[in-house]
Amino acid sequence: MIQLDNVSYSYEKGGGVSNVNLTIQKDEYAFLIGPTGSGKTTLLRLAYMDLFPKVGRVVVNKYDSSKIKPKKIPYFRRNIGMVFQDYHLLDDRNLFDNIALPLHVMGFQKDEIIDRVKESLEEIGLDSKSNHYPNELSGGEQQRACVARALVKEPDIILADEPTGNLDPVTSFELIKLLEEINREGTSILMASHNYNLIKGRGHRIIEIQNGVVRKS
Amino acid sequence: MDKMMFLLSEGLKNLWRHKLTAFTAVFSIFLTLTVAGSLIVVSDNTGKIIDYLRDKYKIEVFFKQNTSNERIKEIVKEFQSIRGVRSTTVITKSDAKKIFKSQFGENILDIVGFNPLPASCVINLVKEKKDKLNLRPIIDRLRKFSEVDEVNYQGRLINRIENSYQAFVKVSIILLIIILIISILIISNTVRLTIYAKKDLIKSFQLVGATRAFVKTPFILEGIFHGLIGAVFASVLLLVSLEFSSNFIFTITGVKIDYSFLNLFFILSSLGIVISFLGSNRAISQFLK
Ligand SMILES: Nc1ncnc2c1ncn2[C@@H]1O[C@H](COP(=O)(O)OP(=O)(O)OP(=O)(O)O)[C@@H](O)[C@H]1O
Ligand SMILES: [Mg+2]
Repeated sequence: MIQLDNVSYSYEKGGGVSNVNLTIQKDEYAFLIGPTGSGKTTLLRLAYMDLFPKVGRVVVNKYDSSKIKPKKIPYFRRNIGMVFQDYHLLDDRNLFDNIALPLHVMGFQKDEIIDRVKESLEEIGLDSKSNHYPNELSGGEQQRACVARALVKEPDIILADEPTGNLDPVTSFELIKLLEEINREGTSILMASHNYNLIKGRGHRIIEIQNGVVRKS
Repeated sequence: MDKMMFLLSEGLKNLWRHKLTAFTAVFSIFLTLTVAGSLIVVSDNTGKIIDYLRDKYKIEVFFKQNTSNERIKEIVKEFQSIRGVRSTTVITKSDAKKIFKSQFGENILDIVGFNPLPASCVINLVKEKKDKLNLRPIIDRLRKFSEVDEVNYQGRLINRIENSYQAFVKVSIILLIIILIISILIISNTVRLTIYAKKDLIKSFQLVGATRAFVKTPFILEGIFHGLIGAVFASVLLLVSLEFSSNFIFTITGVKIDYSFLNLFFILSSLGIVISFLGSNRAISQFLK
């Protein structure tokens, strides 16, 4: 499903990841754990083909980073829900329209869009805020909005970058469980976090990264 | 279908979201189209005046005294095959006599005892709109006939009219092109500013899986709306000022300015759409690479 073969990426000013070999199976729910600055976001961006490896290759859903044409990237992303650490919500439209955007992009019918957006807002507990603009939401609400936007696509894979970073422990825990449910329905999940306590003992695979190197997986 | 509706409504919303850009773009399109529209009306009407004048262009050919009517007929037939000749009217010696009689009230035979008036032929020229009318070759060919005694024409005047008209058309076209290019550049720079201001938004669009076309379309539609709005304003201004000025000009010069408002609106809208399409397409394509 997600496969990294000897992947290295370095930013111009240093930092990045090196020699990563990693495979996430279909239906797997894996955590990527590591201290801040260790390369978690970098790794997820590589998997989302927002970055391209300098060495090695990333294969996701049969799309190969070493061969994919720029034109195909939008189509590749349609089957992947990404929760960005920095949200990337569009501040010129309200919550509802933000979550509807990926569906418009994918060409869904209006009725279906309305149904799906409502559903995912309920799931994430934001249905009362649907006409708020991003700057009228709290940090945690924005973060959950970003999760809802990933879920609404009903993707094959969810890449979640620190989706609980701005949430209180109870809400964080609820989110983990929501993702577990989605995972049971057949979506692979790779979630980055530095909060080990939140996830330990739930029986999920844990991948450790430090200084850009995958330690244990 | 729903996707198209979405993109259309995005374009319309952008119009409102980017009010300042909209204002600048609409205003520059408005100015451009007002100038372009005036040029079109003016050159269209100048064209009509030229047509009218060319209608009056004529060449008079006088034949030698002893040329028979039959021979004249043959020669005139050859005149008709010359390029640039529209029609010919033959005035025989006896026609000339009648004309003399009607103009002076006396019979020429009573005065000089014979008919000294030569047979002649009036040649009207074709009106070719854009091309310059060149008389020289026509005159030269007429003179080649040995039966032709004299050729009269208003050469200087015709040349002067033709030359100024040509110069006028050339200058208008060049002016128009320069204005269009300038406004495309202004628009693409204005739109580029909006795009830079929105680069995070565009990035977010791409991150949720939007194709290039999906990102571009709202911007381009927005541009097309600018063009249309600018065209409406320009057309209204032209309509109002033409209504006022045409009466005024008519009373002073007796020339009636005529134009078709629908045509003008159609031309201006198309121009507006083309300008703003090119401008915004340039900006967004440069940004997306
Ligand atoms: N755009 C960038 N340009 C230059 N360096 C970067 C860039 N993004 C990240 N880095 C560097 O790369 C390293 C890894 O960053 P990354 O964002 O992957 O860490 P992370 O594990 O996601 O950290 P956090 O837990 O704080 O989100 C860091 O040292 C960071 O400074
Ligand atoms: Mg990170």
